[in-house]
Amino acid sequence: MRPAARNRTGSRPDGGRNGDLFEVPRTAPAPAPRPAPAAPVPRSRPVPRQLWLAVRLPLLPLVALPRGAGGPWAVVADAGAVRLVVAANAAAARFGVAAGQKPNAARALAPGLGLAERDPPREARHLELLARWATSLTPVVSLEPPDGLLLEVQGSLRLFGGIDALMRHAAAGLDARRETFALAAAPTPRAAAWFARAAHGTVVESAATLAGALGRLPLAVTGWPARTLEDCARLGLATLGELRRLPRDGLARRFEPALLGALDEAFGLAPAPRRRHVAPERFEERLEPAAELESVAALEPWCGRLLERLGEFLKVRDAGVAALAFTLVHRDRRPSCVRLGRALPAADAAEWRGLLSERLGQLRLPAPVRALVLRSGVAVPVAGASGTLPGLGSGAAAAQAGLLLDRLRARLGETAVSGVRLVPEHRPEAAFRRVRPEPAAARAAAGAAALPAAPRPLWLLAAPEPLALESGLPCRAGTLALESGPERIESGWWDGVPVARDYYVARTAQGVRLWIFRSREACGPRRWFLHGVFG
Amino acid sequence: MNGSLDALLANATLWRARGAAEAPAAGDRPHLATGWPKLDAQLPGRGWPLGTLIELLLPEAGAGELSLLLPALGALAAEPLGAGRRWLAWIAPPHAPYPPALAQSGICPDRLLLVSAEKTPDRLWAVEQALRSGSCAAVLAWLDAADDRWLRRLKLAAEAGRTLAVLLRPARRRAGASPASLRLALEPTPAGLDLWVLKSRGRGPVRIHDVFGA
Repeated sequence: MRPAARNRTGSRPDGGRNGDLFEVPRTAPAPAPRPAPAAPVPRSRPVPRQLWLAVRLPLLPLVALPRGAGGPWAVVADAGAVRLVVAANAAAARFGVAAGQKPNAARALAPGLGLAERDPPREARHLELLARWATSLTPVVSLEPPDGLLLEVQGSLRLFGGIDALMRHAAAGLDARRETFALAAAPTPRAAAWFARAAHGTVVESAATLAGALGRLPLAVTGWPARTLEDCARLGLATLGELRRLPRDGLARRFEPALLGALDEAFGLAPAPRRRHVAPERFEERLEPAAELESVAALEPWCGRLLERLGEFLKVRDAGVAALAFTLVHRDRRPSCVRLGRALPAADAAEWRGLLSERLGQLRLPAPVRALVLRSGVAVPVAGASGTLPGLGSGAAAAQAGLLLDRLRARLGETAVSGVRLVPEHRPEAAFRRVRPEPAAARAAAGAAALPAAPRPLWLLAAPEPLALESGLPCRAGTLALESGPERIESGWWDGVPVARDYYVARTAQGVRLWIFRSREACGPRRWFLHGVFG
Repeated sequence: MNGSLDALLANATLWRARGAAEAPAAGDRPHLATGWPKLDAQLPGRGWPLGTLIELLLPEAGAGELSLLLPALGALAAEPLGAGRRWLAWIAPPHAPYPPALAQSGICPDRLLLVSAEKTPDRLWAVEQALRSGSCAAVLAWLDAADDRWLRRLKLAAEAGRTLAVLLRPARRRAGASPASLRLALEPTPAGLDLWVLKSRGRGPVRIHDVFGA
């Protein structure tokens, strides 16, 4: 499936990397906006039963950081204007260090406390690893940043023999990964998450008992902003049940609309869509020929077989990959690697095969090959993978342009192929830059305003060549006749590579037009140089 | 007598040497105006033939070969990208082409593809790939020694598409045979650039004086 087909609600803040959006199949009006005079109670309809298992990882900021166990240490992060401890290891906790303390207070409690900065990207990666593990329990896993996972497990209950057995299984798996966790199960995802924040092990299986159990939870489990919680406390509200007993329109008026929405979601009155997490897919397969492969010629058909399987893998996913790596396993030697790359993700095994044979043509095997492994980069959906109409869409054209780049790079090397870009700069040698060519780049504005008015040569020498002098005039196979000039270029004094030159257009006795200059450096002789050829 | 001659001349399969330059046969290869009237006048089709091999023989790099090609390159670079012929490929040029000068002539540097290849087999291979890919509007390739078999291969590759395919070779290769459809020798003079049209369909060798002149 393509992202466009998946996107049923139109709200995909993560840009489509995490897979399907699925939702509690219950239709209800959106949470009432603040000025609504009376927030209607959503009507409930019969729905297929769901059971959500929430996994909360209170020490995620700690475990995500690569740090040895030695000594007490804690993770701190900015919380508004102040910095607070967000998690502390066991050694620090023995001194009384806990989340919510200020770093100085924590240091006073535990002398020699190590403090580390929170690293959200690492936490996200850790969460994704756990999500991959969680797919062993159910295919429906969603990430609940910053510190949780939500698993829809109704369909897995029979396999594991009930929710209790499933939770034991999950707990054993998390223990084996040395995670600190809290688990809870409830018919709605938000309720499960709140139960997990309150205590480990709560299970509410039926929607009938949900309201009662949820009502007993303290408001702090919601993780709402401190101001909202203070407002509730001022009204004398301590539990979710007390909050829910207030008139709905009063709640809608007094608090953020999101609060009523969250309550409805938790109690199962409003749909609570969760985005399904889909792990990035890569192809990996290993072949072990019966006999060792002695030559590149013997190796190629085996690589071809792996590429065929890659082609099937990509075809069913309507996807392509931009990078491949063949690992060749040798006896008594470290494995060697053959990498192939494409400018655009490609699905066609035949194109990959063409690239491979170019690369293998350059390859010398260091030793016979015992086994070979093909690994791909992340498979991404390819536009028009099923073919485009000829003459339509520049996608196919860009693919062709990209394929040429890929072939040239595969044989000649990455650096042998380049594009150029203009740089607004007066020094002639700095007025352009070599870049990696882009097959589908939008046509950049040529920057006509920045172009010099004086003539420029079509060839520029890599470095200016000194010219000999003959009776005071520069010469190159005979005296040069100056045609036009001088054009004075003086620039670059600020970055240490100053130039001060007078440029002329000159013509050799043979009629070749040259671009030459006389240096104008304050000290030293004023010498003539050849810098370009008009061609 | 006259009647039988007319009947013969009416036969479309008969190729007439004299008329070739003036009236290209229907269904001929596409051509692209060179931008130099004196040269256009001497070429069949009144321009660079596309989809075949063109050979320029140079006494030295910078003899005026780029100025000669520049109007045609500009026309190709102005084509919309949707046509799929994206690249102006430069294979193994003797120096780096200077982008500001190209931009002055209206060629967007974005379209340039520079390929360096030291060894001759790599160079020939790269030219063939570029010609066959169909994604190049023009392929300029600097070659010295190249055996006849390879040149024929390149010609076949060029004929598969409608790329402006130009081989730039040193003047000392003038004596050797070449499968190129059009062969020009460049001779810079103090007044400008003289051209020898060495080989062209329907023409013997012709000298064009001061091709850039009016």
